[in-house]
Amino acid sequence: MTRCVEISLIIPDNEAATAAETLRRLGFPGATLTRADLYRLEVDAQGEGPGLLEAIRRIEELFNPNKHALRERGTAPEPGEVWIHEIAHGETEPREGPVRIAGRTLPGVNGIERFTVWRLADADGAPATHETVTRAAETLLCNPAFQVASIR
Amino acid sequence: MKVAVMVFPGTNSEEETQRACLAVGLEAELVHWSWDRARASAFDAYILPGGFAYEDRVRAGAIAAHDRLMQPVREAAAAGKPVLGICNGAQILLESGLVPALDGETARPQAAFAPNAPLGKYRSTHVYVRLAVPPETSVLTAGMEPHTVIPAWASHGEGRLAASAEVLERLEREWRVAFVYCDANGNALPDTVPNGSALGAAGLINGPGNVLALMPHPERDAWGYMHDGPAREAVRGDAAAMLAPSGGIALFRGLARALGLGV
Repeated sequence: MTRCVEISLIIPDNEAATAAETLRRLGFPGATLTRADLYRLEVDAQGEGPGLLEAIRRIEELFNPNKHALRERGTAPEPGEVWIHEIAHGETEPREGPVRIAGRTLPGVNGIERFTVWRLADADGAPATHETVTRAAETLLCNPAFQVASIR
Repeated sequence: MKVAVMVFPGTNSEEETQRACLAVGLEAELVHWSWDRARASAFDAYILPGGFAYEDRVRAGAIAAHDRLMQPVREAAAAGKPVLGICNGAQILLESGLVPALDGETARPQAAFAPNAPLGKYRSTHVYVRLAVPPETSVLTAGMEPHTVIPAWASHGEGRLAASAEVLERLEREWRVAFVYCDANGNALPDTVPNGSALGAAGLINGPGNVLALMPHPERDAWGYMHDGPAREAVRGDAAAMLAPSGGIALFRGLARALGLGV
């Protein structure tokens, strides 16, 4: 089973603000942009319960309750979103046992991938079109030399 | 001959870079991001120094690549003027598409200096780079001996050359890998590459050879007292030797020669 956990800032996101300003200068009028970290997890029966979110909340390297919000979400990009993922470098060693992050085990999690989610909206808050999101990814948000952009 | 040392918010190596230019007889001025375009266009060469322009937001070099201060750099590159990017400046040149520009100028990146491998961590270490193209391939290296070895300090978290297999093949075939990591004797060995860079690449050039993107910092190893290992021991106790330009200054001498100074 695949689960996706999104961690976003609840404080001002300077990186998203800079990216939005750059996009506006590059011809994306009125673009609003938000950003989040997304973890796509491959879980077994042990990882299907609510305890998984609690386990992630306890990993301070990923989640700080003073500045982050955490939610479970769908496993594919939504309208207006582009997910940026780094292309794996070299051969990956086969891993045994559950995933560990910052020395902590995530029970029931057998695989994890990290994405950056960029969410574009127009001036009215409606999700940007597929064409606009694609152009934003090609122009600024993704370097295809080492990243992949996933768009719905 | 006047060199512009471009300063973006977050640039941090501009003064060392300026000092290296001055040491080889060049005039060099710090050009800040707030300068107007006409004023920023009045230079004979451009250097994008190291640092963390715009805090590396989105990706290292990605925001600066689209800064309006890059317009005079693009125009200079197109006009054949020398352009040198060091570390973060090299990342900016790749993000801007000015290097390697395999099919001429493009606004889209064809390669990247991506997070170091295997750990993806920042690394600061002394390195050597060897000229890997015939010297005349680039106006910046034209006065160097073949296979010249230059010492430098690598100081980056994103220095691994990454590109598609097709682009990597073209980089080699079209002589775009200007410098490779090596040992002090010029031997390019796997353990001399500090970041997992494809092709062992430390520096890339564009087609005409006037734009060079170099990841390690030659300006941080450009005087005797900055050297590492045996080279440092050789000057220890000799004040004149310690304060004499040497080592990484070779790259700035190359820039001075490109601008017609006999150095």
